[in-house]
This record gives sequence, C-alpha cells and structure tokens, in this order.
Amino acid sequence: MDLSVLAAAAALVLTPPVLGTMMAFAAAGLAIGAIPGLTATLGVALLVPATLALEPVAALAGLMSLAATAIFAGDLPGALLRIPGTPASAAYVDAAHALSRRGQAGRALGLGLACAALGGVAGALALLLLAPGLARLALHLSTVETFWLACLGVSAAALVARGSPLKGALSLLIGLAIGLVGLDPVSGQPRLTGGVDALSGGAGVIPVMIGLFALPELVRTPRAHATATRRDVLLFGGWFAAVRRDVWRSRGRIAAGCGLGTVIGAVPGAGADIAAYAARAVAGRGAPAKAPGDDEAAVIAPAGAANNAAIGGALVPATVFGIPGDALTAVVIGALTLHGLTPGPTVFLVEPERITAVFLAFLLANVMLVPLGLLAIHLIGVVPRVPRAVVTPIVLVACLIGAYAVGGTDVAVLVMLAAGVLGIALDAAGVPLAPLVLGLVLGPRLEEALLTSLLKSGGDPLVLVSRPGAVVLAVVTLGLWAWPIGRWFCSVASRRQDPSS
Amino acid sequence: MHRNTNQAGSWRRPVWAALLGLMLAVGTAATALAGDWPDRPVTLIVPSGAGGGTDQTGRLLAERLRARFGQPFVVVNQGQGGGVVGIGAITGARPDGYTLGILYNFAHYKPLGQADISAGDVTAIAQYNADPAGFHVHRDSPWRDVRAALDALKADPAAHTIACAGGCGGSWPVAVASLLRAWGVDPAAARMIPSQGAAASLQDLAAGGVDVVPCSLPEARALMDAGLVRGLAVFGSERLAAFPNVPTLAEETGLTLDLGAWRGLVGPAGLPETITAQLEAAMADIVADPGFRDAMAAHGFGVVWRDGEAFAAFMRDQETTVRAVLRDLGLTRAKP
Repeated sequence: MDLSVLAAAAALVLTPPVLGTMMAFAAAGLAIGAIPGLTATLGVALLVPATLALEPVAALAGLMSLAATAIFAGDLPGALLRIPGTPASAAYVDAAHALSRRGQAGRALGLGLACAALGGVAGALALLLLAPGLARLALHLSTVETFWLACLGVSAAALVARGSPLKGALSLLIGLAIGLVGLDPVSGQPRLTGGVDALSGGAGVIPVMIGLFALPELVRTPRAHATATRRDVLLFGGWFAAVRRDVWRSRGRIAAGCGLGTVIGAVPGAGADIAAYAARAVAGRGAPAKAPGDDEAAVIAPAGAANNAAIGGALVPATVFGIPGDALTAVVIGALTLHGLTPGPTVFLVEPERITAVFLAFLLANVMLVPLGLLAIHLIGVVPRVPRAVVTPIVLVACLIGAYAVGGTDVAVLVMLAAGVLGIALDAAGVPLAPLVLGLVLGPRLEEALLTSLLKSGGDPLVLVSRPGAVVLAVVTLGLWAWPIGRWFCSVASRRQDPSS
Repeated sequence: MHRNTNQAGSWRRPVWAALLGLMLAVGTAATALAGDWPDRPVTLIVPSGAGGGTDQTGRLLAERLRARFGQPFVVVNQGQGGGVVGIGAITGARPDGYTLGILYNFAHYKPLGQADISAGDVTAIAQYNADPAGFHVHRDSPWRDVRAALDALKADPAAHTIACAGGCGGSWPVAVASLLRAWGVDPAAARMIPSQGAAASLQDLAAGGVDVVPCSLPEARALMDAGLVRGLAVFGSERLAAFPNVPTLAEETGLTLDLGAWRGLVGPAGLPETITAQLEAAMADIVADPGFRDAMAAHGFGVVWRDGEAFAAFMRDQETTVRAVLRDLGLTRAKP
C-alpha cells in the first residue's frame, strides 16, 4: 500500500460531509437491517438513487456504512423474534433466540455486535491491503482468463448455493436469460428488446433486484408476523462482562470466522450467507460449555464474525475484477459504476485515491458499528410494535420510486414489478434468488469475454486454454463441476453394490 | 410524501424517523420539478467506460459546468455496445437540458448498421477537444518501431490482433485501418477485436491478449508510465508536448495521416435555444480558461474550439468523409 495514496484517501474520507453521510447511512442501515425482510442488499439497492446528488466519495462511503451496519442489524429481530433480518443471520438465529429466551438477549446481541465489528474490520483490512496487489496481478488477465473467472462465478452460484444445486442452476439460467436482453456486447446489435429502446441497455440489475427481493418479502411477512407478536423481556444490564468472557473464550473461533468469511466472501458466488453457514459448520464446536449459554455463544461468535468479514472479502473480486462475490456486491458494483469508479484493475491506476477512500470508509464504518450498534440494541424494543400494515405500503412505495429513479423510465418500473412476480413464484417454489442475480450480472460479461477470445483466435476454441492462468482457472472451474458429479456417481455405484442401504 | 413526514413526526422513535427521512430523500431526488434551468442535477452521459479519454475530458467539463451553473453535472458512463447505448440515451432523451452528453466520432454507426444516428439527431453545443490516434504495443513486443510492426502486419495480417479500443468502426480502428491501407495491407484481413473502450483494450494489451492498441496517447499514459506499454508513434504531423519521446507517424513512415478522435458537448435534437446559448457561452469561457487548458494539457488532451454552428457543420462533414473511408476500406457490408 502506497502511503501517499492512503494519506490522500484519508483526506477524502475524514471530512464533515463524508462522515455525516456515513453516520446517516449507518443509521439507515441499522433501521433497514433490523426490519425482517429488508436486507443489506435491498437497503443498498433502494438508497443508490438517493446518492445520485452526492459527491462520489460521500455517496460510496455512505453505501459502505449502510452495508456494514445492515448485516449486523439483521441479528436484532433474529435474536428477539427468531426472524432472521438477513439471510446471513439465519445461520445462528436459533442460537441467539435460545439465549434471549433465557433472558440473555443482551448477551446474544452484544456478542453479535462484537463479532460483527471484529469480522468487518478483518475483512476491510484484507481489502485495503490485498486489493491493490491483486490489481497488479489482474493486469495479467486477458479476455481468456476473464471468461474462466466468469464461468467460475456462474458455477459457484449454482453449486455453492444452499439447498438443491438443481434449483440453484435453474435460478442461474433464468438470470442468464434475462441478461441476454439488450445490445449484443460485441456487434452492438439490439437483441430481445422487443423494439423497446429503453431495454437496449439491458433489463437493469437494480430494478430487477428491487422487485426480486422486496416483493416476495411483502407477500411473506403477514405469515412471519404471526410469530412476532410475543415479545421477550429484554435484559441488557450486566451483559458486558458476559460478552467479554464469550469473546475471549471464542477468540480462536472468531479468528477462524474472520478468515473463512474473508476467503469465502471473495469466491464469486458464495458471499456472506454461505460464509456464515460455513464458519458455523467449521468452527461451531469447541471447548466444552462451562456455563449455560456457552454452546449458543460458540455458534454466534464465528458465524457473526464471518458474515461481516465476507463483505470485505466479496469487495476484492468486485473492485479488482468487476466480478461480484454475491448479490450485495453486485449492487455495490452498480453503485460504483454510477459514481464513475468502474470496477477493474485500471481503477487502481486511474483513481487510486478514490477507490482507497471507499475501502477506508468501509473500515471506518465497521468501527462506527460499535457505538451505533449499542444504540440500536437499546432501541430495538419498538420495532416489533410497528404494525405490518404500516410497513408494507411504505416499502412498496419505496420500491416503485427506487426503480424509477435508477432506470429513469416507466419500463424500469414495469421490469421491477415483473421481477417481483417472478421472485414470488421462485420463492414459493423454493428456488434461491441469489444465483439469478449473479447470472444477470455475469452473463453479458461471460458472453463478451468468450466472443472476443474467439475473435482473436479466428474461431479456434483452444484459445481458451492457451495461457497458463487460463489453464489454472479452467481446471478449478471444471473441478468444481466434477466434484458433485463424481460424488453422485460414487453414491450411485455404492447403492448398486449394497441395495440394502 | 408529505403524509410520510407527518407520520414520522407522530412517531417518537428516531429509528423510524431516520428510515422515513431517507425514503423522503429518495422521493425528492426523483420528483424534482422543472423550472428555471438548471434547478436540479444535470445528467452528463459519457458513451464510454470510465477511465477512457471521453470519460476523463467529460469529468473535467462536468466539474466546471457545475461550478458555473451551481448544479451537479452527474457523469454517467454508458459504454455498452461500443457506445451505442450511451449515444442512444443522449439522442433519445427529452430535450429539456437535464440530459446532455459527450459526443465523439459517431459517423460509422449508421453505415455499419449499428445505430441510426446522424448529425441531425443532436443539438451541437461546442467542440472542445481533438486527439490524434497513437500506435501502442506491449512492453515485450518484438516491434521496436512502427515500421517493424507494419511490415509484420503486411507479411501476415491475420497473425496479429489489433484492438478497436471500443466498437470496430470508431475513430481508432478507422485511423489504424487507413494506416494499414496506406502501407499496402488489406485491413479486412487484420483481426480487429472490439471492447468496451480504450481502458479495456489497454488492459488486454498489458495482459498480452492483443498486439496493437491504436488509442490516443493520453489514454495509454498510466500504463506507459507504469512501463507496461510502449507508444511507437502518434498520428498527425507534430509530436505532442506531453509525450516528447513518441515520434510522429510522418517521421517514422513518411505518411501524413491526420486522424484521431474529437469530442464535443451535445444535447438531444431540439434543445431550447436559451439553454443552448447558455451552455455555448459557458463552454467558450471554459475552453478559454487557462485552468481548463492546463488540466487538459496535464492529462495530455488537445484543446480545439468549435462553436455550435461550426461544430454542427463539422459533424455533417464527418458523415460524408467517414462513410467514404469505411467503403474504401471494405468495412461496410453490402447490405446489413
């Protein structure tokens, strides 16, 4: 890291307007994350249009703060009401809720806050220290390697996604199909636009995402709310000592969570949700419990750290390769581009101060998380008392305005509503939504990289394995597909040998 | 949205007030009413990816237009489809002065069948820049000068790849194709590789994915400074002050080809005369301003001034000349 760049970046971030914007967005992030169904992804997508009038550094610093705080705030309704605020907090919602029922809601939330801040700082440091180095490495990436990276992202989206890989693949294919709409990336000819000029730039990732994630939640919340009416007694007094003890007892698991979160977050297609589950699985079992609640704390610590560390990790491929690690970074890429920082290795050469300022803001946001999180824990009592009937229409109006403000056309609103209907149908069928978004984002990139590579070779497909980097990435991608297929063959073979099992 | 504010006031809890306040902010951003121009942010569409020459000069302009009109000029990069989407967004926008754009060598889109755009689809405000094309190769390229490169291309045109630094038909590929033709190479036989813009092509050059990138020198400056890319020649008859070590094409080959990119500020066709006049006056002041000229020179961009009328005439002239060049070079298909 170049110190002069770091100093220039710090000068960009440490100004009253930028810090003020960060505080406002961090507060919004807490509010959004704390409301069940409103995720960090949706929060960023909804507030991108609100940043249009802001200076780029202030806008992006604000969005970084929002992302960092919203992921933590997902723990609040999770612990109190057993409703995970974000998919990532679903990994430890049971453990946190069990602690609350024992009257240890403060311990559950305080530990979640401590781990989120630690994980977030770890992810931000990795981003700050590794991203510029990765940028130099990425200058060795030609369209051939880009093709394989996009393949890797698309494959991971389908294969690493929770639940059935088949449903993940279906979701991915729908996303790739939507990604075909727009101008052909090589010849510039319009395609599948139905003669609608507003679609020549594609369906638009953000309108599609707003509809896809928000509308199904609006339909779903009345049912979820049935369990939300009962409120547990909140006992915050004296939890500080318990949390300090938990953090110390779980220090190894937290470190593992930070490391795993950063690495898994950086794998395109994985992201915070998968990081939280993986950290829980790998680090969840440890020292035997000495006091009631220790087992639950051992689950919360690594998963809570991993889901915030994953954001920093996911921002590495997002900013360096322009390849989103998950749905959240897909929206962040859109926001970066909107504010003139098109992700890619050249951004580190063209505007190193501004991109470093964005990373620095992300680090700062994770530090700011501690005081804001403490405030939020004290305020959380009010949220369950607000009736759904009030929340639902407000969210719907925000979706309509958000889609129009980003796309600027009536078509964008229709795209948002159509995506919402699609999202409701996919949700009802148990099809995960994240692979769809990754397909939509990566599809055009994959196509352009493949076609330009073939143009270079005059149509010879061997060009795709003509460079050492490409061969390595090809092996990794094909290995990713070979693994579940191989396992399936093995299980079929063993079933044939031993029909009784 | 007023109803929301009242509700927020009746609720005592700051969490809700903050959320509703932000939703209100989303609403105001979207629904500001038109009045005395400009009373809200103006969108400046840059039909190329961030980091390229069009983007850099567009940002220099946006900064100064904001200072002059007191409203942000928000740069929006739309480099998809070789710039077709961005240019379509400019020509298709409502001519209310809130969507302007940077236009550059556009005359190839219509003959190539990529987009139906002609000089009549825009309101010319002012041209502020022109840059000669360059001839860039990778640091490790065996070609030490542009003659060696041209001879290698002549020997086997299909063995090498030339990036288009955008769509294949734009300013840079037209310049390099004219050079090939002048050197006795059939440009149709060369492998021309499209991309999202100069930045993307230069990245591919640094990675060894293509052999030649014909973009302007300033666009390649960061990679030249990093020692990853070498500039073998600059089109035009004079060396650029910012790049004294890059020889001209005339010095190296004896050919005088004054080809390259130009950029100007435009709006959709039918922009009200009052707004056009304000913008043209502002542009005249900006282009005359030593601060702007210094900033342009610091980035290596050439400053060229044409007022609205001259710029419109220049664009009409471009349509005829480029069409002829494309036909001569065999780039236009008989019937798209």
